[in-house]
Amino acid sequence: MSLSLLAPLGLALAGLVALPVAAHMARQVPRDRRAFGAMLLLRRVVKRLRRRRRVKDPILLLLRVLAVLLVALAAAGPELLYPGGVPEFGGSGRVVLVVDRSMSMSAVRAGATRLQEARERATALLDGLPDGVQVGLVAYDDEGVAITSELTTDLGRVRAAVAGLQPSYGGSDLRSGLHEARRLLAGEPGEVVLYSDEAGPTQVPEALPEIEALLELGASIVPDTVAADPPRNVAIHRARYGDGLEGGQVTVRLMNYGTAGIEVPCEVTLPDGASIPIFADLPPEGAAEERITIPREALGGVGEVRCEDPDLPADDARYFHLPQVGASRVLIVDGDPGDTPTRSEVYFLERALAPWGGVKSGVTIDVTSPIGLSALEPERHRVVFLANVADPRPFGPRLTEFVRNGGSLVVSAGDNVTADRYNAALEGILPARIRSTRALADRDEGGIPAAMPDTDDELFRPFRRGGRDGFQRVRAHTALTLEPFEASDDVRVLLAWSNGMPALIERKVGRGRVLLYTSTIDLGWGNLPLQAVFMPLMQRMVDYLGGEAGAAAARFDAVVGQPVVVPLPDLVVDPEVLGPDGGAVPSRIEGATLRFTPTEPGAYQLSLASAPPLAWVAANVPEEEGDVRAYDSVVGAERAIAPDLLTRRLDLARPAWGGVLVLLVLQGLLAFVRGREA
Amino acid sequence: MSQPEPIYDAESLARVRHLHLRARTLTDALLMGEHRSRRVGQAVEFADYQEYLPGMDLRGLDWRVWGRSDRYVIKRFETETELPCTVVLDLSGDLGTGDRARRARPDLEGSKAGYAIVLAATLLYFLHRHGEPVGLEIVAGEGIPHVSLPPRGGRNHLQLLFLLLATVRPGGQARLRDALGRVGARLRRRSWVAVVSDGMEEPSEWLPALAAFARRGADLRFFHVHDPREWRLDFDRPALFFSPEGGAELAVDPSGAQQAFDEVVQEYVDEVRGGVVRFGGRYLPVPTDRPLDEVVRAAVLDDVRALGAR
Repeated sequence: MSLSLLAPLGLALAGLVALPVAAHMARQVPRDRRAFGAMLLLRRVVKRLRRRRRVKDPILLLLRVLAVLLVALAAAGPELLYPGGVPEFGGSGRVVLVVDRSMSMSAVRAGATRLQEARERATALLDGLPDGVQVGLVAYDDEGVAITSELTTDLGRVRAAVAGLQPSYGGSDLRSGLHEARRLLAGEPGEVVLYSDEAGPTQVPEALPEIEALLELGASIVPDTVAADPPRNVAIHRARYGDGLEGGQVTVRLMNYGTAGIEVPCEVTLPDGASIPIFADLPPEGAAEERITIPREALGGVGEVRCEDPDLPADDARYFHLPQVGASRVLIVDGDPGDTPTRSEVYFLERALAPWGGVKSGVTIDVTSPIGLSALEPERHRVVFLANVADPRPFGPRLTEFVRNGGSLVVSAGDNVTADRYNAALEGILPARIRSTRALADRDEGGIPAAMPDTDDELFRPFRRGGRDGFQRVRAHTALTLEPFEASDDVRVLLAWSNGMPALIERKVGRGRVLLYTSTIDLGWGNLPLQAVFMPLMQRMVDYLGGEAGAAAARFDAVVGQPVVVPLPDLVVDPEVLGPDGGAVPSRIEGATLRFTPTEPGAYQLSLASAPPLAWVAANVPEEEGDVRAYDSVVGAERAIAPDLLTRRLDLARPAWGGVLVLLVLQGLLAFVRGREA
Repeated sequence: MSQPEPIYDAESLARVRHLHLRARTLTDALLMGEHRSRRVGQAVEFADYQEYLPGMDLRGLDWRVWGRSDRYVIKRFETETELPCTVVLDLSGDLGTGDRARRARPDLEGSKAGYAIVLAATLLYFLHRHGEPVGLEIVAGEGIPHVSLPPRGGRNHLQLLFLLLATVRPGGQARLRDALGRVGARLRRRSWVAVVSDGMEEPSEWLPALAAFARRGADLRFFHVHDPREWRLDFDRPALFFSPEGGAELAVDPSGAQQAFDEVVQEYVDEVRGGVVRFGGRYLPVPTDRPLDEVVRAAVLDDVRALGAR
């Protein structure tokens, strides 16, 4: 704060201060003389009045001196310079309203969001603008957008555009918003009125270059901050699945941006709909980490963590990927338990599908005898292996229904398999009718090898990077022969023996599939279980058949408002992106990738018709937007860049003249009273 | 004590006659209807009984009591004696002021001094008529030397006092502390004393001198003579006020100092009244616009009872 004088020579009038001093010293002496018999009393009165006058007279002199000094000061044209809170608004005739619509502007204060408050203030400002003022509107979140293409005098249009602003889930790129404002000003000075919460540690610092550019342009930024004081918000920063007890653990990290500790109820919802409630105790402006144990069995997909926080609901949910946990139930019907492990399909299948147990492999195996097929639970079991079962007829209808409803069946051959029984029991679902059992070579010779599979086939795609040659070491000396069949889209030979006989045939039935392996998956007719391709082939087979729903799908994390690029497998056509509500989300294919932009947080899936999802996308809001605290202010930046911009000038001349008048009246009154007493 | 030199010029004698006339008029009005007369000698007022002891005067024996109770008791009576009365008159220069003082006929009429002189004469005459010996002490004044005439009876003595009162003029300074101290020192015990003064000296200085009166057992009346216009500072224009007794002049605008003056007067009166009462006296405010008969009546009616009791 400082004082400047427009006419310093006016201070010379201060010399007139001698006048009141001289006048003060002069006293009037009465001319009449009067004999008085009570002089004792009069002397007492005079003594008393002098005591009072000791106070009054200096005040009188002071008033007169002050009046003269004030005259000199007023004549000098004083101006008071002091720092203002924000730059002055008004006068330029060119105004750009910049409204922050980032996620943090959804924070609720007194029943209204910050954006609602910003809209009201902006509308009030528009209402107060005189006609002829040119106004523009810019909104920004992750990027600034000029709502009006240029400055306009149509305030009604701008007012309507302000009313239509909606909060987004995006971040706060103030720099981008100010850049758009500068673009609207088109290189000429103007006023940028900023409605923002200025929240987050980076919003203002990253905008410094643009603030500087605007100030160099001669424009001023007038912030109208709508931040809550004190700030309050609870946000979920992270939710991630990892190893742990039972089926693993989801680690949830919550952050409290408020200044008071708070206990927040939260709920973890798994892809299968199961929910797990938790309570998080959050310290003031601190974080807390909660670990949620996942059940031994859970469907894979995208889970959700949601907490109750009335301040900023947008960041109260976090989506995380959850693999299939022990829930890929494979039912192996053991038709030939065998004397030794090498003669047992179950032995080899268990080691191929769940070598470390079901939790880690994602496959849980139930083994049963043929009679135990009654234990088939269509809701749980995804794949049924009929391993050398002698007579499937009692269960034929049930297996057929199971397959038609989406289950999968793998039939492997063996000594117990008889054509009549199988053809009769599974006629409607077998890829081809079984004719007989045929020796392909002497048992001692090891059998004939399998042909190289086509790795373009979805089943064998994992072998594209290697292992394809391993199929040539798969041999069989005995196999089932099939009656002639016509290959089609539904019936395909996936793998053949080197003599051209089918080794693995697929048939699509309803929503399910049936695979027929014409040899054994123990060492009875061939050496498949001993080959390197056995384990990946069996696991891939289970995956392929939908044993783990979406378990093979790629998993991507995304931020709302930012584009996601998902690489597409070969030959995939017409993929569709489904949003959190199950509806289609606009996407486009760019070469071997699919690109889309999530518009809201939640689980997105890239799906094909009648196939498991190709990819899961967990879209979340930007973490930094949960931080509703203000760190740096635009005004502070302006003050640092252009201190004069915030300096206010107060003309003191007029108040000084008023003060002179008041002082003159006061001294006149006091002099009058004083004269009557003396 | 020095005797005053009587002044027998015609003007003085006229004043004496005028003074005497006024005093007698006032006194007669006061005594109208009163027939009580003073008896010199044996007292008749019964006081109490006392057991007879050998050697006591047998004339006091109450034979009726002896007849009824066979006891010898002596009747005792209060004895009525003469009450020496002294009027102390302050005639310092300040008493000479008053709005009508300059143009008054006869001289001093309307001044505090004139009022005080008539008041003193009336008191003397009244007391004389009651048969009391009266004396006069004039403090300050001009035209006569310091007067101190002790109480005495007789018409001639009263005439002498009247002559002095008719001759004296206000002037000089009273120096009340010394004057009252002297008067109190030579006062006869159990006297009646009337101090007629304006008291215009620092009360804290002269009030302690009243202790001498208290020590002598005097029945003190303090007649505080003042000009009400002066005590109201009832003047319309600023002026240089001065005291006839000398001292610095003071330039005062009466209208502006009115409130403060009222406060000072009240404090001063309270101070004087408190001092007089503290030393056993009675304080009588006497504004000069009050009819003199009212003042004397108020004073003497109370005094009549007191004089009669002592």
